[in-house]
Amino acid sequence: MDIKEFELPNGMKVIMSKRSELPIMSMNMTFYVGSKDEEENKTGIAHLLEHLMFEGSPNTGKGEFDEILNNNGGDSNAYTSWDMTGYYLVLPSTKLELGLWLDSDRLTGFGISEESFKVQQSVVLEEKLQTQDNVPYGSLEEESSGRLFKTSGYRWPVIGFKDNIENLKLSDAEDFFNRFYKPNNAVLSIVGDIDYSETEKLVTKYYGGIERGEKIPRKKFTDGYLIKENSSTIISDVQLPGKFMFYLIPKIGSREYYEMQILNKIFTAGESSKLYNEMVYNSQMANEAESMIYGMEHISIFFVNLIARKGVKVEELEMKFDDILERIKNGNISDEEIQKAKNKLETGYFAKFSSSVFLSEKLSEYKTLFGNYESLINEINMYESINRNNIINISNKYLNKNQRVNLSYLPKE
Amino acid sequence: MSVDYANLDRSKPPVVMKSKDVKFPAYFEDKLHNGIKVFVIEDDKLPLISVKFVIKTGTYDDLAFGEDSSGLASLTSDLLVKGTDKMNAVEVAEIIDFHGASISGGCEYDATYLSLTSLKKYFTGLFDIVSDLLMNPAFLDEEVEREKQQIANSLLSCLDEGSFLAERGFKKNVYENSPYKLNIEGKISSVNIFQRKNIKEFFDKFYLPGNLIIAIVGDIKSSDAISLIKSKFDGWKKKSVYDRTIYKKDSLTKTKVFAIEKKGAVQSEVLLGHLGFDRKNPDYFPVVAMNTLLGGYFTSRINKNLREINGYTYGARSYFNFRKHSGDFCVETSVENSLTYNAIKEIISELDKIKNEYVTVEELESVKNYLTGSYPLQLETPNAIANKIINLELYGIEKDFYDTFISKINAVTLEDIRNVSEKYLHPGNLVISIAGKVEIIKETMEQIAQVDVLNNIEEL
Repeated sequence: MDIKEFELPNGMKVIMSKRSELPIMSMNMTFYVGSKDEEENKTGIAHLLEHLMFEGSPNTGKGEFDEILNNNGGDSNAYTSWDMTGYYLVLPSTKLELGLWLDSDRLTGFGISEESFKVQQSVVLEEKLQTQDNVPYGSLEEESSGRLFKTSGYRWPVIGFKDNIENLKLSDAEDFFNRFYKPNNAVLSIVGDIDYSETEKLVTKYYGGIERGEKIPRKKFTDGYLIKENSSTIISDVQLPGKFMFYLIPKIGSREYYEMQILNKIFTAGESSKLYNEMVYNSQMANEAESMIYGMEHISIFFVNLIARKGVKVEELEMKFDDILERIKNGNISDEEIQKAKNKLETGYFAKFSSSVFLSEKLSEYKTLFGNYESLINEINMYESINRNNIINISNKYLNKNQRVNLSYLPKE
Repeated sequence: MSVDYANLDRSKPPVVMKSKDVKFPAYFEDKLHNGIKVFVIEDDKLPLISVKFVIKTGTYDDLAFGEDSSGLASLTSDLLVKGTDKMNAVEVAEIIDFHGASISGGCEYDATYLSLTSLKKYFTGLFDIVSDLLMNPAFLDEEVEREKQQIANSLLSCLDEGSFLAERGFKKNVYENSPYKLNIEGKISSVNIFQRKNIKEFFDKFYLPGNLIIAIVGDIKSSDAISLIKSKFDGWKKKSVYDRTIYKKDSLTKTKVFAIEKKGAVQSEVLLGHLGFDRKNPDYFPVVAMNTLLGGYFTSRINKNLREINGYTYGARSYFNFRKHSGDFCVETSVENSLTYNAIKEIISELDKIKNEYVTVEELESVKNYLTGSYPLQLETPNAIANKIINLELYGIEKDFYDTFISKINAVTLEDIRNVSEKYLHPGNLVISIAGKVEIIKETMEQIAQVDVLNNIEEL
């Protein structure tokens, strides 16, 4: 990997990676702020502000950001998570300076009108309807977060609560912007057909004059692991019953987090995996059976998603799942299964490097969370020393019944 | 480095150079004596190799087995990975997974896929297994039953999804005769009756060397890839390829509105449009430019109107589905129940406007800049390149299509846009399919046309 990095005097960190096969470049600007940094009565502001950042800045009017970008063969998008907000844009590599001009202008001041705010507030409310409220099992994030977390900003969904979103004001967005959108709270990654010294010069030209912000006070993370099972049944407009388990596991980047990645692959990677093989293929109890990990800064989530076949009860899914888990905890797992999981992770590792948009996002994300991008490149070595005993231990340590949120979705009637 | 920040003029965008030209990457092609078309794309950036097998059959051919055979092509393709005479489904999954690889099978209207991605070091052995899956699938009764249950349950859960419901209402009423009206996965009643013999019959009729395209992409030399393919496929006996039935063209003569009840809907899922045309149509380039301007990118007229001006939706877009023998045009959006009529009215007004008035020079320039400037991004991964090459063969497109893409987009004129919007958009003869709260839809949409309520959508 060909990578160089530098830091501006105002604290903005910059990572560059040269790839010259195609005359394109991707920029990713990630701010170290997410939904967990919101106030409890203003949930949704991090994500709404993400929408607003495309709506105008001191030198670009409403709609101009995307118009200029599209008109130059470029595209953009953004995402908000619990911990971070990332903006990307892609352009032909000859137009790097235009991208830097567009992106940096957003940092020079708040340029959003009341009108843009109102429109994006409605757009976000529609987004919530489209991606959650109108989707089967779509309330899972909202139902689970408050049960998993009691005091931290992880206890509300990233998109926020409807009531809060409706009551947000333009001034809330401006306050949030002024607190967090500072060069010393940002990582910029640029991947593509670029020249390092020219790029450093241009980045310095457009971002170097932006003033450093004050040190941002961070709330102490106060949530811990669950000690009592939290179960609930939700009656919903779904055809097939669903069983969903959430366990808290160690934070992203820790040794135990990587151990959980291996265990997760054993549960879910391919049709020979435990969940598919036993629940979908052999017993045919489930129509879908899979697990995934949400990696988060302070504590992560291991999520198990089981959709029943018609006629199968959620209690049966739960018993079967508990039985699979129990066998792993009792040591019923082979070295071959561990190796299989490692092989899956090895193939998946390379996918991170296939597209420049994705690579620039990952470089920014790792730098933001871990303070270095090398952990992205070296991640694959983390798995080598993990063995069967580690997997048995970790399952006994974190995947107990009293440590989970256990949700059932049942069809109406 | 000294920079004079105070004198940095941010008020105007910096002047930047035109984008550099990009050439479509070189690839190797060959044809085996039994008719198999072969492509190889070398790319050693990552130690991965993929193979894609594409068979020129799909849902379109369901109808060759009668009106009640919807879902047969899809079921057949799903079963490809479920074992051969030598190796059962569990053994296949085990060996693929153990090597960290992945396989998948599936179908669309005009094509069926089987693909494998693996680390370079394991590729040859796994290629052998996947080749066998393609040529000698077992289709065991037990696996057929298992898969049927899986599909029937998936079809049930589709009823929870507004986009599925709206699409069924749309396709069924846009295409009256052609198999493009069918749901790819079929319907519960049809899937339920399929047996091994139906699947075997479909397989024998359509899975033929003359219908097969093999593309290998990744960290491999083309000579090695070709020998590998020949060692497995040279012996597959040639058989003449079955001629596809061509169905009568469907056409609409007035706007029709269809409403489908989605339980607990908090939004309407809207799909509206009409017939389009096949992929080989000579107006392809002006149509792509016209559609991009209308609803094909973020700053398009439809998205700007519905999202950025009115805040009615998270997004709205339009597209042409270019199929092998026909096609359709649609506009898609999701809006809160009470906004359904307003949103549809805005969409129709955008269709009327582009059909009846010239677009501006600036709009057309922006579209050209967007399409030509973002084109290289589509060539970033070997898999994306492979799909493009496969499409040339699948749809019988001219060989120089990708090399001339940029110049042909740049050649589109205001007059061309005017002609194709006039010729291919029919805002007076739309199928408007809406999944949501039927009561609300009926109340407001009657202003546009009589509302037909569709029931038993799972059987459409």
